[in-house]
Amino acid sequence: MKSSASSAPSVSSDARPGRGRSRTLLTLLLSGTMLLSGGCAVANGDSAGDAGSADGRTLRVVLTQEPPTLEPCESSLTATGVVVRSNITEPLVERDPTSGELRPLLATGWTQTRPTTWTFDIRPGVTFQNGDRFDAQDAAFSIDRAVNSDLACNVDGYVFGDEELDVRVVGPTRLTVTTEKPDPILPLRLSFVEIVPRTTDTEAKVRIPVGTGPYAVQSWQAGSAISLTRNEDYWGEAPAYPRARYVWRGDASVRAAMIDKGEADIAMSLDPMDAEKKTTVDYPNNETTALRLDGREAPLDDLRVRRAIGMAVDREGIADALLGGLAEPAAQLVPPGVVGHNDALEPTPYDVDAARALIEEAAADGVPTGREITLVARNGQFAGIAETAEALQYELGRIGLKVKVRMADTATQLQYQLRPLPRGVGPIALLIMHGNQAGDAAFTTSQYLLSDGPQSTFGTAELDRRIAAAGGLSGAARQRAFAGLLAHQNASVAQYAYLAHMRGLLGLSPSVRYRPNSATGDEMRLADVSPAKAADAADAAKAAEPARAAKEVRH
Amino acid sequence: MVPFLRKRVVSSAIPLLFVVLGVFFLARMTGNPVDLYLPLSATPEQRADFSAAQGFDDSVPVQLWHYLTGAVQLDFGTSLRTGQPAATMVLDAFPVTLQLAGVTMLLAISGALLVGSLAAYRPGSAIDRIAGLLSMTAASIPDFWFAIVGVLVFGVSLDLLPTSGTLGGPEVWILPVATLLIRPFGVLVQVVRGSMVGALSAPYVKIARSKGADARRVVFGHALRNAVTPVLTVAGDLTVALVNGAVIVETIFGWPGIGKLMIDSILQRDFAVLQAAVLLTAVTIFALNILVDVCHALLDPRVRQAVPA
Repeated sequence: MKSSASSAPSVSSDARPGRGRSRTLLTLLLSGTMLLSGGCAVANGDSAGDAGSADGRTLRVVLTQEPPTLEPCESSLTATGVVVRSNITEPLVERDPTSGELRPLLATGWTQTRPTTWTFDIRPGVTFQNGDRFDAQDAAFSIDRAVNSDLACNVDGYVFGDEELDVRVVGPTRLTVTTEKPDPILPLRLSFVEIVPRTTDTEAKVRIPVGTGPYAVQSWQAGSAISLTRNEDYWGEAPAYPRARYVWRGDASVRAAMIDKGEADIAMSLDPMDAEKKTTVDYPNNETTALRLDGREAPLDDLRVRRAIGMAVDREGIADALLGGLAEPAAQLVPPGVVGHNDALEPTPYDVDAARALIEEAAADGVPTGREITLVARNGQFAGIAETAEALQYELGRIGLKVKVRMADTATQLQYQLRPLPRGVGPIALLIMHGNQAGDAAFTTSQYLLSDGPQSTFGTAELDRRIAAAGGLSGAARQRAFAGLLAHQNASVAQYAYLAHMRGLLGLSPSVRYRPNSATGDEMRLADVSPAKAADAADAAKAAEPARAAKEVRH
Repeated sequence: MVPFLRKRVVSSAIPLLFVVLGVFFLARMTGNPVDLYLPLSATPEQRADFSAAQGFDDSVPVQLWHYLTGAVQLDFGTSLRTGQPAATMVLDAFPVTLQLAGVTMLLAISGALLVGSLAAYRPGSAIDRIAGLLSMTAASIPDFWFAIVGVLVFGVSLDLLPTSGTLGGPEVWILPVATLLIRPFGVLVQVVRGSMVGALSAPYVKIARSKGADARRVVFGHALRNAVTPVLTVAGDLTVALVNGAVIVETIFGWPGIGKLMIDSILQRDFAVLQAAVLLTAVTIFALNILVDVCHALLDPRVRQAVPA
């Protein structure tokens, strides 16, 4: 082995140089491999995959991403709300996603006792998952914590803006909530406030919540899975599954594969290319896509140019070819079912010649229609967004506008979407996707149509006045007012060239029964899911009921 | 060996410092993360309060000072996204990536040494041609395509393997490791073959053959040891790339590793996590490079002797 110290290799066939080292190296390689594989395998003893085995007692859901937190006051974030809302925690009032009506949950009733005050009656006999009894003090605490604290809760800004609430406990089962101005939709706003025990931290957000919901958090294996277990003391009807388990996969094709292979029962947000499968079901997700046109910058400051853009968009073509048919051409920012939706509005007809004529007319009047417009879109915001942006670029080019596409990440796109809007970037056409999960057009108009709305580039005094007036109304008058102002926006303001009301796609194993609704993407109620066998048996029993009744009548 | 090690540590520490500072400054050039963490309708006052609470309204030198003083005390701050300590998140994620990278590289190196040596033993033979074709194919296959096809074929159609996930027996490792393995294996086979062809035609190998050494001893006893130096260099580079995070594999197969964590923290402007992750991976790569150099020195005395005391 002296040779190893010399600069030139020497050879001796009988000495077998390096044989010992080779063996050692090989042994090390193999044993290292075995150790690593074995160690990891031993660390994880369940061979049924992350979502657990298909034992019929665990509902397995695969999400698009791991929730950043399960803090209830952050539940207006989609990734958090889809796990927390109505599963772990509950609000006082819930909105029926189909009818739009409010239903009692932890409050049994509510009345507007003064123009600025609402009184809520609290449900007795409810306990939190930690065993504490729920009463009006907990409800008041939760509202204060979410809305009036320094926690900067997402629900505070999203639902209440800068509105401060005066919350008072009147008795163990009654509280009042007072606003600065009359708020006819306060109960709807409070449907976003999840109730937590009064012992919850007020200085910092909690990572794992305690609530009154039908499921409690059993464990959170960071990066891998969240397990819930049924709350056996739940005040309402017990959910069918004793356990639930969430895992997450960033790739839609893997989520779909997990359904196909039976590794998951429900998969969120699949790609349109899977829409033909028997294991998928589509549903309206209340999201609307549109181009927001910055009316402060030429040539977009000209109404004719903005209207021409609306006419140049082939909505049917985009919905069919690029969005996999999971979209309906849109004529307004709020979808059907939302208070204020205007049934009379029709999507702008696709008319390239008329659009080109409008652009030529504007150019003849000195509008710089040749100025380059930047079309900004967010990577991955919906399936097919890059192709949609390119199609829009082509369509606007056909009518004589010059457009370049800029695909951006979320943080960069938000710089274009939110005030203060960036300066010196020229005319911007921003591809947005707006979801109105609250069910009332006020949440859309205050953000997207007001002159100084956080997500609006411009507006008019008339539109601002109508939005303010509509916000103070209730019932049919409110519906009429918002529907009217949405029509006014299309005719006289045209800040938006609408694309489509979107539909989500859910993967659903044949072993479960679940009917998705417009809230499913943000609030998937596990209690609404049942095993297919049990559901089939219940359906059969229901079907047999009239026949048995008829028999009894005949006898 | 000590002077050699000292010199390598000093020369590797300077790039490490540049990486850490570079990430700190570049992250801040991407803008204030407030918009991502506050409600869309947050008031300017709420945004200002949030910025102040997170220290984003301090000047960049002050922020750097806080970062460096915290890092010295192993306090890397708190994640904006999850509210957890950044160090905890990074230390949870890094072993996942290290395990993947370790298993992958051990298999890739072992396989490449075997296949590359066999191919080099008789250049132009059927084995050599097949090995060349396979290695070229392996080195050229896009990993995301291979991963998705693997899930659909072996996970769904053939129902042999789980589609994804980390919990389970050895079977959960097969598709992720295969996806990661294929390119390094292809590259290494080519390197081993090239290096071995040169070594097998060296005079000392001819002498060994003339003395009657059998093929196994000639290849693995004599030629391979002298041909392994370039393999070590390439394997070191490939390992560094894996330790930096196997983003595609971690995303598709749901492995919560450092690559996915870094991408998420970049997209979410989660500076504390990004800085902690980059620091840890940079230190690991720094250590890996030293390890590769030490191995070089052990295998080739000329490397040791080239370093002045």
